[in-house]
Amino acid sequence: MQRPGQPYFSSRRDFFHRIVDGLQGAALASLLGADLYGSDLVQPGRHDSRIYDLSPKKPHFEPKAKAVVQLFMNGGPSQIDMFDPKPALQKYAGTIPARDLLTDILFSKEVGGVMPSSFRFAKYGNSGMDFSELVPHMAECADDIAMIRSMHTNHINHEPAIFTMQGGRIASDRPALGAWVVYGLGSENQNLPAYVVLDDPKGLPVNGIQNWQSAYLPPVYQGTRFRSEGPPVVNINPHSELPKQVLEAQRNLLRWLDDRHRGKRPNEPNLNARISGYELAARMQTAATDALDLSSESEATKEMYGMNDPVSRSFGTRCLMARRLVERGVRFVQIYIEDQIWDNHFQIDKELRYCCGKTDKPSAALVKDLKRTGLLDETLVIWGGEFGRLPIAQTIGDPATAGRDHSPSGFCLWMAGGGVRGGTVHGATDEIGHKAVEDRVSVHDFHATILHLLGMHDRDLTFSRHGLDERLTDQFPARVVSEILS
Amino acid sequence: MCIVFRLLYFACLFFIPWGLKGAEIPPTPSFEEHISEIFTRKCIVCHGSDSPQGGLSLTTSAEVLRGGKTGPAVVVGSAERSLLVAKVVSGAMPPINDKLTASEIAIVRAWIDGGALSRDGLPVLTEKDAIPIFQMRCVNCHGKRRREGDLDLRTLASALKGGKSGPAIVRGNPGESLVLHRIKSGEMPPPEMLFENQVRPPSNEEVEVLQRWIAEGAQDDNPQQQPQLTKVSKDDQSFWAFKAPIRTKPPPVKHSGRVHNPIDQFLLAALEKKGLTYSPRADSQTLVRRAYLDLIGMPPTPEEMEAFMEEPTEEAYGHLIDRLLGSRHYGERWAQVWLDLAGYADSEGIIDEDRVRPHAWRYRDYVIRALNSDRTYDQFLTEQLAGDELIPAGKRDQVTSEMIDILAATGFLRMAPDGTYSLPNGSLAERMTVIADEIEVLGSSVLGLTVGCARCHDHKYDPISQHDYYRFSAILQAAFDPYDWIKPTERHLEVATEQDRHEISEFNAPIQIAVQELERELEENRKPYRKQLFEKRLAKLPQNIQGDLRDLISTPKEKRNGVQQYLAESFHEFIDISDEELTTAFPEFKTKYDEIKQSLEDKKKKLRPTPRIRALYDMGGEPSPTYLLVRGEAQSIGHRVYPGVPEVLTAGLKPYGQLHPGKTGETSGNRLALARWLTQPNHPLTSRVMVNRLWMNHFGHGLVSTPANFGRTGTPPSHPQLLDWLATEFVRTGWSIKAMHRLMMTSEAYQQSSQPDEMTVKGDPGNILFSRMPLQRMSAEVLHDSILRVVGRLDDTSFGEPVPVEKHSNGEILPKASEQGRRRAIYVLKRRRTPLTLLDVFDLPRLSPNCTERTVSNVAPQALQLLNSEKLIEDARFLAARLIDEYPHEPEKQLRSLYQRVLSRTPTEKEAKSFEKDLSLLALNWRSYLEEKRFDAPRNATAQWYALGSLAHTLLNSAEFIYID
Repeated sequence: MQRPGQPYFSSRRDFFHRIVDGLQGAALASLLGADLYGSDLVQPGRHDSRIYDLSPKKPHFEPKAKAVVQLFMNGGPSQIDMFDPKPALQKYAGTIPARDLLTDILFSKEVGGVMPSSFRFAKYGNSGMDFSELVPHMAECADDIAMIRSMHTNHINHEPAIFTMQGGRIASDRPALGAWVVYGLGSENQNLPAYVVLDDPKGLPVNGIQNWQSAYLPPVYQGTRFRSEGPPVVNINPHSELPKQVLEAQRNLLRWLDDRHRGKRPNEPNLNARISGYELAARMQTAATDALDLSSESEATKEMYGMNDPVSRSFGTRCLMARRLVERGVRFVQIYIEDQIWDNHFQIDKELRYCCGKTDKPSAALVKDLKRTGLLDETLVIWGGEFGRLPIAQTIGDPATAGRDHSPSGFCLWMAGGGVRGGTVHGATDEIGHKAVEDRVSVHDFHATILHLLGMHDRDLTFSRHGLDERLTDQFPARVVSEILS
Repeated sequence: MCIVFRLLYFACLFFIPWGLKGAEIPPTPSFEEHISEIFTRKCIVCHGSDSPQGGLSLTTSAEVLRGGKTGPAVVVGSAERSLLVAKVVSGAMPPINDKLTASEIAIVRAWIDGGALSRDGLPVLTEKDAIPIFQMRCVNCHGKRRREGDLDLRTLASALKGGKSGPAIVRGNPGESLVLHRIKSGEMPPPEMLFENQVRPPSNEEVEVLQRWIAEGAQDDNPQQQPQLTKVSKDDQSFWAFKAPIRTKPPPVKHSGRVHNPIDQFLLAALEKKGLTYSPRADSQTLVRRAYLDLIGMPPTPEEMEAFMEEPTEEAYGHLIDRLLGSRHYGERWAQVWLDLAGYADSEGIIDEDRVRPHAWRYRDYVIRALNSDRTYDQFLTEQLAGDELIPAGKRDQVTSEMIDILAATGFLRMAPDGTYSLPNGSLAERMTVIADEIEVLGSSVLGLTVGCARCHDHKYDPISQHDYYRFSAILQAAFDPYDWIKPTERHLEVATEQDRHEISEFNAPIQIAVQELERELEENRKPYRKQLFEKRLAKLPQNIQGDLRDLISTPKEKRNGVQQYLAESFHEFIDISDEELTTAFPEFKTKYDEIKQSLEDKKKKLRPTPRIRALYDMGGEPSPTYLLVRGEAQSIGHRVYPGVPEVLTAGLKPYGQLHPGKTGETSGNRLALARWLTQPNHPLTSRVMVNRLWMNHFGHGLVSTPANFGRTGTPPSHPQLLDWLATEFVRTGWSIKAMHRLMMTSEAYQQSSQPDEMTVKGDPGNILFSRMPLQRMSAEVLHDSILRVVGRLDDTSFGEPVPVEKHSNGEILPKASEQGRRRAIYVLKRRRTPLTLLDVFDLPRLSPNCTERTVSNVAPQALQLLNSEKLIEDARFLAARLIDEYPHEPEKQLRSLYQRVLSRTPTEKEAKSFEKDLSLLALNWRSYLEEKRFDAPRNATAQWYALGSLAHTLLNSAEFIYID
């Protein structure tokens, strides 16, 4: 991977990548290189062989981003209260909304009047990007963030909308974005999974493990859940009761058996891969444990990620783990949040304070920390949910407990780093923040843009199945949102 | 008459140029600019808007479209079929002398043919513009089974007929059309039912469409306007996969000594052309292990191996194959192949809840039974596609076990993920996805065609049109009607034989008596408290009413007079007292209440329900019409379609229609016709697809390497003549699947070694020519079952409800064990969200909606699983303990037996020696460890046991165990 004229360790990521290989697997590295992970890099989506692996693949063109951290805000954050100020709502406060909005509602019995945000907005950074008082830390990253205010999606309910956000369609059987990315690019670190999911220890998000499924892509591309408490993977650690010498003896014996078996079958690359798989397993025990071990992080860093505050500790821990994973060459990291905390149908003002308290500081810390370590340039951070929320109240009478219903027609998402032009605001919703009207960005546009930043054409990242060249953006029109690129 | 008409018609054509001197026909005439003027001059005298002749007013385009007493005056898009044109052309109209000139007629014709546009260029709306609005917003309640107000809005005809309150639509009169009135007033769809029905009120645009459609006379769809369907060409039909298989004579070969059956002739001929031949024969031990793992999915026991090795002859091998085919474990292994195709799962998927399908297992059992009894493939398919339609009309009440069997078979098309249970009916799009998934299952598994591609557009590569797709979909409509949906949780049949019923009621009778007893007891307990609370409430009311209400509640409901009924309604808040209210008001009652409620629940749980079958069955009656959906979207209706099969597959076959058994009143017969069409002996795909699939599972890859795609984008067969020979042989032997297994496995090809020499590898690098047997990794289930059999922990009970799974403290998902051990993987609950960890890491497919070919990955988590799973270590120790029991104090024999069990062979001398050394080393390590831990157990014995366990564990990890030569 070294290009001429570059220092040996071209980045911090590279450093870790090489150190881990160098210390523990010199013999293995050659074995891997010789048998499976050939130096002829395969173009994404142009597999001929039936061997699917995670060796690095050459992108279609020079990429801006090498890794992605997606902070998935399942539930549907209220853009009107955080990123998309709508002063006009004051003017219409309490009035009955238009009919086309009324047909866009899930809980039609609980329709209230137009409801302005209770939160103060201000402009931040040189770019003067708007943020509300709920997200003061994100606001500090204004000049690194590209805010898309004109997202729209195709379903009003969580499950289908999340499926769309992950796999491009309302269908439970499509590969997730992350699976496509690692299918296309492989990974820079063979000691760790290429696609890591850090879900909330409190429980799975809606759609569960289908959020990171590989579906019809080979299973090797599905997301691997790393638990943020205890051992990161089921069965990653040896049985606690097995003495070291026994393990050692077992390993030697197995190697002896497998070498003999392989010796008689010289034309079976799979047997080589299997043997390396066993060695990799041993290294993964160390690598994964090391990646998630935060004890070497400074107190200041932990404080920055909000790990000293019980509200933000859990999310902050996972954000910090995400940084450690991408710096070790993991391609795609996804962070989820318990249940549906952003689904604020009720008491939105109170609930939003909790949601933002939990996520604002850690999310901003991730951007700042990546910037500090020089990784932000090649790491794309994505923040957003499956849809947004309506500018009218959802209420059963008491205005103090009002919430907001789902809004798929217009919402916000932001990206930072990895080839994104910071300080950009793209697109706009209508006067009251209901529908995206200017420079509308579909989920397919959003996907195409992410792939583009990673050096891939969405039309060319394909997987042949049942005679069709399947792709993330399917047959839908998809446009790279070039306005937010640096 | 006809001739006269034609003459006139030609005359008109002829005259057009003359009449049009100076008056060109405008390219898109509109009513206001071109037509209105003609009608005003020539027709309006009689056909004005005030009491027009024949009820026909010609003043506005809407009125023209609406027509008069004799029907619509014009058929949009077809001047030829328009009454108005016929009348003016024949000269019948106008009845006065001032007839329309040829050029005027030409303009009127052009206007009609061009779509009868008005000035703004909007085309006239027809049924297909309006019906989707009803389908999305109304038919949930005004449909087939649920018909509120006796109104069915699924078709124009039924809307015109209307319901209790009269016609829903009055042509040409939006004001009098009830449906529009109710929608506009906001009455319909009822706001309080929107969420429950997942329906939104029509948008402003939709209301406008309905308004205009009705104003324009509620035009139906003009069949003449249907798009020209692309004809299937001769060229399309000549593609190899669309022509019937042709049986050729097996070719002569040089290496005739290696010919066992015709398969070998075809394969050797191709090899010899390249100067190659088969690899040497595999040794007997390898062959036996291969056959066992292949046919029953588990390795042989040492005893079984020994028995064969006593006389390892050709003949004995044949008998072995027969014996294995006769084993009940055969069905348990091969059912998995078919269940992958069906997409079998024990849960609905889609929604987070991933609700368990409690009755799906009957389908799994059906497949196992059918394979074990060698149900012929034609019958196997027919039962799965149309089991319900095989039951003769009028015989449905006399339930037999065969009937239950074939009804369970229809579970085949009930296995796709189905999230429509989450809300009362799911959304229309979700329902259509379920149907599309099942079509995908059918197409990929049986037809070997990517039919699903034609859902949104004509197939890009194969001659399958969207029209074909929706005709195919129409076959299923009588069972899967998206406009008359049954939730998956309710879509089942309650069927039991007379005997079963009897047994169940005998079993339940005493429980039911106990339940009644408890309910009586509960009521006795309730009474005093209820009276107390009632009196407390009454106290707030005026005296005279108090008395009336007291009388009221002491009168049984059916004996109440009119006044009392009225009172009961008005004062229901006083009278109706819920258990919740009682338990809140009286804590002492709550204790008693909870106690009785609990025993009631417990008793009720013991009741045995009538067996239910997750079946696909005809819902009876007339299904909703099927339309082609433009871009596959529920709201974009194209033309109407009727049941049928892809047109490219009609050559040489009896047409679908001819095979139709006719409608019996109970079922449409559509799926039975499909089954009969598919199982014709000369069907170009059915037999080929199946033999290819069997071949693929025996030989590692298919003759067609894309088993679910025999179309143009699939890979052509490597041995077309062999494929056809096998396909015809399959049919000739009566579609016997077992005969095919036998044929393939007794071929010399199957008995080759998996260790080829250099020349073979060079000459046939991808093994396309089958110059050797492939080295294959065990599939997830085979690995799971083999471990259990080898260590002696297999509970080999067959059939029944799935074994529940449980999460181990380290996160591993495991099947619940019985006293005898653990069941085969096929009997473990297959819930989409909680796959067994072992299966999951070894490439258990995610079913989307099914799996036509498994992929094999080679990743580190597999090693982690086998090295570190506590369960596997426990299993290995279990095996070690058995060996020690069997051969106490004879470590060599223990080791030998261990080898035989796990690897199905005896160790070589070198291996035996090395193993003894390893065993003592391990024992030493264990001993020092145990001493350090100060265990009180007899240390030596434990150390020896643990050491042997570690050895067993290592062997279970070895490539030799996991790979099949």
